[in-house]
Amino acid sequence: MAFNLTRRKFLQSASLAAVALPLSKVIASETGVTRSPLEPAGSFKDETVVGGVCEMCFWRCQLVGKKRNDRLVKLEGNPKSIDNGTSICARGNAGIQLLYDPDRLKFPLKNVGERGKPKWKKISWKEALDECGSKLKKVNETYGPQGICMFPHGSTAKYPMHFFERTVGTHNVSEASFFQCRGIRDTAYLATIGMAPGENVDMPNAKAILVLGGHFGENIHISHIKRYVKGLQNGAKFIVVDPRYSASAAKSDIWVKIKPGTDTAFLLAIMNYLVTTKKYDADFIDEYGDGFEEFTKAIQGWSLERAAKECDIPAAQIKEVAIMLAENAPNVSIHPGRHVSWYGNDFQRQRALACLTGLLGAYFVKGGWVPAKGPKVGKISWAKQEHEAAHNLNMNEDEEMRYPFTPPGTPTELIRDTALSGKPYPIKGCVIWGQNPIQTIPGQQKMKDVLKQMDFVMCVDVMPTDVTMWADILLPEVSYLERYDLIKTGTQWDFSEKQQQYIAPRMPLMAPMFERKDQVYITNEIAKRMGYEKDIPVKTIEEMVEKNLAVAGLSLAQVRAEGGIHIQAGKNPYQMPEDFEVLFFNEDIADVGFPGAPTYIPVKDSPAGFARLIYGRVPVHTFNRTQNNVWLNNAMPSNPVWLNDELATKMGLKDGDVVGFINQDGFKSRTTTTVKTTPGIRKDVVYMGHGYGTANPLMSVAVDAGVDDTSLMTKITLDPETGAHGMRNNFVKFIKDGNIIDIPTSA
Amino acid sequence: MQYGMIIDLERCVGCHACTIACKAEWEVPVEFHRNWVYRIGPSLVEKEMASTYYPGLCNHCNDPVCVPECPADLEEVTFTDIKTGKTKTMEIAATWKDPFNGTVQIDKDRCLGCGACVDACPYEARYINPDLVDDVSEDGKADKCTYCMPRVEAGLQPACVQTCITGARIFGDLDDPKSEVAQYVKNGAKGIEPDGGELGPNSRYYGKKKDISLLFSTHTPELADLGHVRRRAMLASMVKPAVKKARSIGLMGIAGALIAKSITDSDSSKE
Repeated sequence: MAFNLTRRKFLQSASLAAVALPLSKVIASETGVTRSPLEPAGSFKDETVVGGVCEMCFWRCQLVGKKRNDRLVKLEGNPKSIDNGTSICARGNAGIQLLYDPDRLKFPLKNVGERGKPKWKKISWKEALDECGSKLKKVNETYGPQGICMFPHGSTAKYPMHFFERTVGTHNVSEASFFQCRGIRDTAYLATIGMAPGENVDMPNAKAILVLGGHFGENIHISHIKRYVKGLQNGAKFIVVDPRYSASAAKSDIWVKIKPGTDTAFLLAIMNYLVTTKKYDADFIDEYGDGFEEFTKAIQGWSLERAAKECDIPAAQIKEVAIMLAENAPNVSIHPGRHVSWYGNDFQRQRALACLTGLLGAYFVKGGWVPAKGPKVGKISWAKQEHEAAHNLNMNEDEEMRYPFTPPGTPTELIRDTALSGKPYPIKGCVIWGQNPIQTIPGQQKMKDVLKQMDFVMCVDVMPTDVTMWADILLPEVSYLERYDLIKTGTQWDFSEKQQQYIAPRMPLMAPMFERKDQVYITNEIAKRMGYEKDIPVKTIEEMVEKNLAVAGLSLAQVRAEGGIHIQAGKNPYQMPEDFEVLFFNEDIADVGFPGAPTYIPVKDSPAGFARLIYGRVPVHTFNRTQNNVWLNNAMPSNPVWLNDELATKMGLKDGDVVGFINQDGFKSRTTTTVKTTPGIRKDVVYMGHGYGTANPLMSVAVDAGVDDTSLMTKITLDPETGAHGMRNNFVKFIKDGNIIDIPTSA
Repeated sequence: MQYGMIIDLERCVGCHACTIACKAEWEVPVEFHRNWVYRIGPSLVEKEMASTYYPGLCNHCNDPVCVPECPADLEEVTFTDIKTGKTKTMEIAATWKDPFNGTVQIDKDRCLGCGACVDACPYEARYINPDLVDDVSEDGKADKCTYCMPRVEAGLQPACVQTCITGARIFGDLDDPKSEVAQYVKNGAKGIEPDGGELGPNSRYYGKKKDISLLFSTHTPELADLGHVRRRAMLASMVKPAVKKARSIGLMGIAGALIAKSITDSDSSKE
């Protein structure tokens, strides 16, 4: 483990500064005890640098830095923020350790070994860019733009993604945030209310909150958590549906210990109960509803008893939830979720959530689903162009969409299957930017095979994540603390307060170190070498931000002078848009062959001896991205597997036992973790934190810490409407001391 | 005045922001902590499922067991109440309870690094910080939460309180009945008293009955075996004269450097 600044080393460099203080100043005013020069000074006297926007996760809290000489020593929430305020989470606080992580990528690297078993050679930027430019140019000329695929993630990946998608013209872009996370939610709500829902529930002002699978506390997004806790403090009833007694369940009034995969049945029974007992908001539906009759017919078979059997929960509990929601309607937050790529039946579940919100009249009302009305800024990027549908893998021979409700981009499996089969065309160039598709996408071996068959693979990242082992050229990017970048906008989080908007462009808190470069530089240099110089939209990242700010009548200098955040008057968020409607039955969905009313599609039960593997977040990590951070690693160094305590007794396992896993396809986990026994989990599932089990030895802190849950997902499931992944359809047994232990799930 | 910290477990979501902010503010070595968050459960509490957190830190006890165990020589120190100007002179070893603000502090210069206070604390709130090395101790010095007194003196909140994302940590004067912390105590916030102890911990917990019950049933510590602690401290004080001698030479060294530096830099009063 490498600690970048020990107290001792710090003292060596700081001792001269310390002795420069007059003796009298070293006396603590209150105690009369001379404060030892050994005592750390604390960051609060250091210079404050404004304009930081966090990206330890993607919520993007606003920061200030504390700077001592040339060194950032601490990050804090920007006191001017109306979003996170002075708060930042564990990851935000640990940003310092990412900034100075000795394992960070520093120089352009060329793989002179083989993909997957790299040997790195430090090369110049010129050589690296020439190589990327010429190799991608060759792929483009030989196979067409569709021969290039891209796996982007994060704010720096937008600009290069637009280059490859719009200017070069490939459809083959797969964003993890859509196809392995929230894309299903977005398109399901689009197909119901015409808008992607975000997590826009007005929880502070809700009388009841319903959460399906979300586990706030284990999953941390600050202003969202502030909304949630304020809602609970204001007395909202809280219902949590989860096979596990999650951090959220621990604060709930009702914990629905649901059988995994059956959530839609639960929602349909609630809705059917509300309809048959006339506890729904008939006025709202008259005004804004569409297809309500077909909808009620389609769900009428869902009695409480039928759902109770399917979901393995008491019918009385479903009724209790339904009544609690109805009694508090319309001030009810039906949470749309965030990561919803669960079982391959997810589009229908997300539709059901959107319809339930409508039944309760809970759109654009206090406590309901209410999107913030934020300010407008520019979105300068590569110019949009029309590209023919011919190479769109999501179009079949009859020019019909294979996955009609796909999020933007091309479903990941279409790209991977095409790359492996070469049909209908070869995919031979791969650009990976900020994403770690090895630990993001089910089917790890398939991903590796896809990368193996490429003519050229390039990665741009901050850290040497597992996927970077498969790169030919690996480029070091500046971190979010060292660059201009996106403009974070939003409003205050509690709509009961004065309506305000904020505009916070990301500004560097310090200069880049080593040879790291930003996304505009890297993309433009590759674009020049690929023959697209004339299309370059901005010369520098700073120019991009200035132009985007100008749309709001602002400049970087002005925002900096205002403390890093511009605040202006906001708008009433509860104002219902004129054309708002809720499509309870959506004919467009029916027309393309899927159920037009929300429909429950059962998933396969676990085979005998196996338990379903479910996973989630831990509060100190953002997937795999933060795993090498010494502070965060120290806070949660592994991902213990939750096992029902009664099963554990039967299996002869106890807390702390070291186990590995074997899944239904015989795949064995590379590493091990420990057992956590608890009554707070169903017997048909085991649970672990996601993102652990890094394989790349260059991540010296993270390597082999915990088990990589994604590696155990060898069975690939797709959500038929969207083409996004279902990631909770794999099953595991334990391995202890080399022996395979069945999980007696039916016990 | 008695500073205290309330942890409101109804608000706490177990995010660890407090622990990492503290590490950053006070350069705490990676493997040690001045505060911590342990997740407890899910477990059954009287047939009801419960899960909560133990966000712990120094309790700045009314009657701290750590303070009397310090074997360092007593020294007469005058304390001043900033508000009233009142002074109090008392003899203290290298760790003491402040007579005015009620916090428990450590003099890093005089600490011998023997670890007696670390062993005496039933909460494991103290550790030997190996980075704090001088002529007195090459093995490091005792370290712990100070309730961020240097920040508080500068008019700021403790680092953990400032960063807390839900307002679950509340800092203030428990002796002031109008303070928020005193209100919490009135509403039942209580400290974790070790089995058979009467230390009067001033970091106090508030929450749902089942959560408080889970926290106290799983994390009520035993008092340390002070006989063991004292044997160790005695050993440390036996070698102390030699150490002390070395220390005064060391101090001369530092003082000499300070004087020399202040002469050469007499105009640079830059902080």
